[in-house]
Amino acid sequence: MIVGVDSVHDLGGMHGFGPVAVEVDEPLFHAPWEGRVWRLLAAVMGSTTIDRFRYTIEQMPPAEYLAASYYERWLWAIEHLAAEQGILDGTDRPARVARPSPSTPTWAGRFNRGDRVRVGNPVTSGHTRVPRYLRRHLGRVERIAFAWPNPGESAATGIYGEAELVYTVSFAAADLFGPAADHSVTADLAESDLEEP
Amino acid sequence: MSDLTPAERAEILERHLQDHGHVHPGEVDAAIAAAEAASDDGPSPALGARVVARAWVDADFRDRLLTDPVDTISEYQPQTVPIAVLEDTASVHNVIVCTLCSCYPSGLLGNPPAWYKSFEYRTRVVREPRAVLAEFGVEIDADVELRVHDSTAEQRYLVLPLRPAGTDDWDEQQLASLVTRNAMIGTGFPLPP
Repeated sequence: MIVGVDSVHDLGGMHGFGPVAVEVDEPLFHAPWEGRVWRLLAAVMGSTTIDRFRYTIEQMPPAEYLAASYYERWLWAIEHLAAEQGILDGTDRPARVARPSPSTPTWAGRFNRGDRVRVGNPVTSGHTRVPRYLRRHLGRVERIAFAWPNPGESAATGIYGEAELVYTVSFAAADLFGPAADHSVTADLAESDLEEP
Repeated sequence: MSDLTPAERAEILERHLQDHGHVHPGEVDAAIAAAEAASDDGPSPALGARVVARAWVDADFRDRLLTDPVDTISEYQPQTVPIAVLEDTASVHNVIVCTLCSCYPSGLLGNPPAWYKSFEYRTRVVREPRAVLAEFGVEIDADVELRVHDSTAEQRYLVLPLRPAGTDDWDEQQLASLVTRNAMIGTGFPLPP
């Protein structure tokens, strides 16, 4: 499957969706199969990364993605990951993938708190966690948040690589969405997705 | 698209995984039963409410919660990913979202509500948060700075809402009863006393 990064999951700021429907006394699962799918994720997650799980969902054809319920999207991804891992054909388990622990970075980054930064333009056929609505925009570093493996690499390889710094960056919503917007938006962005302004 | 229903596909998937020893019979039932029986000892809005109420009455705890949130929240429930606490003030209101998928502080609050995962919330709250919050019955004064936090990495967020006025003589347990799930996401306020 080859798809571009500009897939339908990248929804932030899109027009045309209506009011947020809030259920009263919402059950944890809306049907028994949803709970089963929720738990079956564990069968494939032990041998891959959270990023590859997300990347797999992102490969759903857009019309299917929008028509599917939340746990249907999980189901689609688990089916694909289980096939990819070969666990539907045999009893062999693929190697376990160790998930990193939360860590505070111990090294200095390219940017410091208060710095102006420009978001990169990570056009790739792979996976990125830079939302489209932030590409090429100027923001300000609020803080160095933590260190974590690069999501694009973790999605491509299915294992966690070397950690890099992740920055919490603040943007004026007026820059993103026009002068009527008076709020700010923050996002957590990998150092490799940020540039000098 | 498959002609099978999701329930049928889920059953086939589970059977295949069981046949090959990747899922053990009973394991799925047990996990669902445990999630549905969530108490305030496990990840749930009630657990989050205990943390918030403690921060309201215990200044030292509040400071630790803001400066060292992973270790501090882990005293209640071990946290496996970074989590940051966003403190509301008289002049700042915080709200969280995940526009790309459904990242949510599940390690503290349990599974997210359906609306948090909805296309409507994900598309709109970054662009027009005041309009979205109004749909939740939350009016934010024009002079209050509104900060929307998009959970785009492996860091989760918890909103520490303002303690309601008129609760000076309330104890921690009473205060916890006022803390709603939406108040910890930013789409609601704590209940009035």
